[in-house]
Amino acid sequence: MTTREPRATVIEARALVRRFGERVAVDTLDLELRSGECLGLLGPNGAGKSTTVRILATLLAPTSGTVRVLGLDPVTEGERLRARIGVVPQELALYEHLSARENLEFFASLQGLSGTLLSDALAQGLALSGLAERANDRVKTFSGGMKRRLNVAVALAHGPELVFLDEPTVGIDPQSRERIFEMVESLRARGVTMIYTSHQLGEVERLCDRILILDRGRKVAEGSLAELQRHPEVHRRGGASLRFAAGGEAARARALLAERDIACELEDDAPDLERIFLDLTGRALRDREDA
Amino acid sequence: MKAWVLAQKDLRVYFRDRIAVLLGIGLPLVLCTVFAGAMGAIGSHDSVGRIELVIEDADRSAASRELVAELEKSKGLELDVLAADSKDTARGRVAEGDAPAGILVGAGFSAALADGGDLPLTLYRDPAKSIEQQILAGNLIPAFLGALGEGVGKRMSAKVLETLDFPMIGRERAQAILDASWTNMESLVQSIEDQGGLAADDDGSADEVTQADAGSGEDAGAGGFDFASGVAEILGIQVEDVTGGEEHAQAEKRGMQANSVAGMAVMMLLFGLIHCGGTLLDEQESGTLDRLRLAPGATGAILGGKFLFTWVVGAIQLLILFLFARLVFDTPIFRAPLALFVLSTATAAAVTGFGVLFAVVSRSRKQLEGLSTIVVLSMSALGGSWWPLAITPDWYQKLGHFTLNAWAMDGFQGIFWYGKDLSGILPEIGVLSGIALATSLLAWRLWERRLRV
Repeated sequence: MTTREPRATVIEARALVRRFGERVAVDTLDLELRSGECLGLLGPNGAGKSTTVRILATLLAPTSGTVRVLGLDPVTEGERLRARIGVVPQELALYEHLSARENLEFFASLQGLSGTLLSDALAQGLALSGLAERANDRVKTFSGGMKRRLNVAVALAHGPELVFLDEPTVGIDPQSRERIFEMVESLRARGVTMIYTSHQLGEVERLCDRILILDRGRKVAEGSLAELQRHPEVHRRGGASLRFAAGGEAARARALLAERDIACELEDDAPDLERIFLDLTGRALRDREDA
Repeated sequence: MKAWVLAQKDLRVYFRDRIAVLLGIGLPLVLCTVFAGAMGAIGSHDSVGRIELVIEDADRSAASRELVAELEKSKGLELDVLAADSKDTARGRVAEGDAPAGILVGAGFSAALADGGDLPLTLYRDPAKSIEQQILAGNLIPAFLGALGEGVGKRMSAKVLETLDFPMIGRERAQAILDASWTNMESLVQSIEDQGGLAADDDGSADEVTQADAGSGEDAGAGGFDFASGVAEILGIQVEDVTGGEEHAQAEKRGMQANSVAGMAVMMLLFGLIHCGGTLLDEQESGTLDRLRLAPGATGAILGGKFLFTWVVGAIQLLILFLFARLVFDTPIFRAPLALFVLSTATAAAVTGFGVLFAVVSRSRKQLEGLSTIVVLSMSALGGSWWPLAITPDWYQKLGHFTLNAWAMDGFQGIFWYGKDLSGILPEIGVLSGIALATSLLAWRLWERRLRV
């Protein structure tokens, strides 16, 4: 996890609300993202992650609040904005009866690419996703991992300035996941701004500069991993918090306490993101469907 | 036991999409209504099977007027009597496909009736409309008997004796006996009429006779016996098929093939293209719709693209069907190629409009299938793809022309059967283009509303 120098504001949302009937999917959310940053959007199912992404990506209008993306209003200036953003949807939004090349070519040409630009984008997309050798095979013959990689490549073909990745690694093998990480890291290296939503906390830890945790449509916490580790709600679940100077001390302490029949939880290191996440959002099941 | 558990699961899933369930239940109800309507089970059945008959009275005598008046009384006929100064002819109207049959009452009809000579009566008919011809024949008998009375009865007796090859030696005597019978029957009918007896039967039994005759005629027609010609010959009427060549059976066959090709082409086109329009729902379910929406300027292009795709598929479908019809049925598809091209394009556009509209209003494939099955089958039945509209009640025929099937079929039959060119089918092209425009605009408006962020 790296920290970058903040630059120009790419996304600015104030008091964003989105209702679906009585249900509030996004509740007075403030969000800011600077150029070149990668923001990890975390939250249990139904927290409002996908709804937030859809609003920012021009696919859904907010019920209230203000939002600017790349200096444009996604509702009234969506047409201009769409050429500058890329969205990797949760679903495999591909045509199964077309080949990888045909899928890439179709979506890139819809984004206005043609001639050399288009052929370069195709070559780059196929290489980046590791599908060059299977470029002419129909997508329906691909494994889940190959489809996921193509799903990402399609969103990046037109060289967007801002990319939304909505759980891009769901249900794939470690090799394909690693390749997608490489694709995201190459985007970061090029200074592309990103919002990355995932349930895989390790991914967010690895790829994102900042993390925003949503729960029931509301922002619960925001900051770098180090900042979240110091969040007042973390480690405040009752009982005491101990820090040991050297590794292995926790094991000794645990053994001593066990001898005296004292129940406790002891950790050697600072809380990881999973722990932070559970501390901030609670352990209760969230069965509400993610909007 | 496991089978029941599986069935329960399927029942639960089936009943979850309530709109689809309603459409599924609605289908047989709608089709029942359409069938019952076609067969005259809805409303008054007075107009069921009414055949349009064009009358050209060149004699303009009291006798010819009486014949026309008798024909007008027939519940199975809807007369279109040409005015004295009309430029139309009965033959021309039938040849244009405006009516299935026409009768020319030639000059000298009154005189021929008086002196017992051959009656100058000609029945012009469209052999493609064989069912209509049988109904017509069934209605001509009582009308001619009513108008020409004893005279036509005696002619019929003579014709029957001739047909039976009655021995010449006894034919004169037999003729005298039959003539006397006709005279007695005339008197009997007159006395019953004077007592008001026959009037009471008018609504029921008379109809039954004509419908029963028509029914037997239909069977006979299919078997090759030309019931209509037989009746006309007995009544002393010349018969002329105005289109389809000289050989009646062949003409009838070709005409029915032209009807079938036109009717099935439109119905199958509707089914096929609604499926194509449904790819819009597939895009939504697979998630590609959102991806398409993310392309700049794509909101309108998505629907336009679906329209073009569906239209092209429709045009290809029609082309293949017509080539097949040319090869197998000898359907004259090259008679007016420009007219056929324009009409096919307009038909495919109208059907495409429906396909895209249905896809936009449906929320799932299941809903689309239910809705399209109801509408396609109903429109096909109402529009004449399944049976001739002529055998249905007046209201049904009028309703039929609110469907694109009826207009498309009229157009295709105009080209294949009546030899019309582009100018002859402009009304059909206009209506179909109007349907295409209206359905597409409606689909567009609903689409815009649906995609509004």
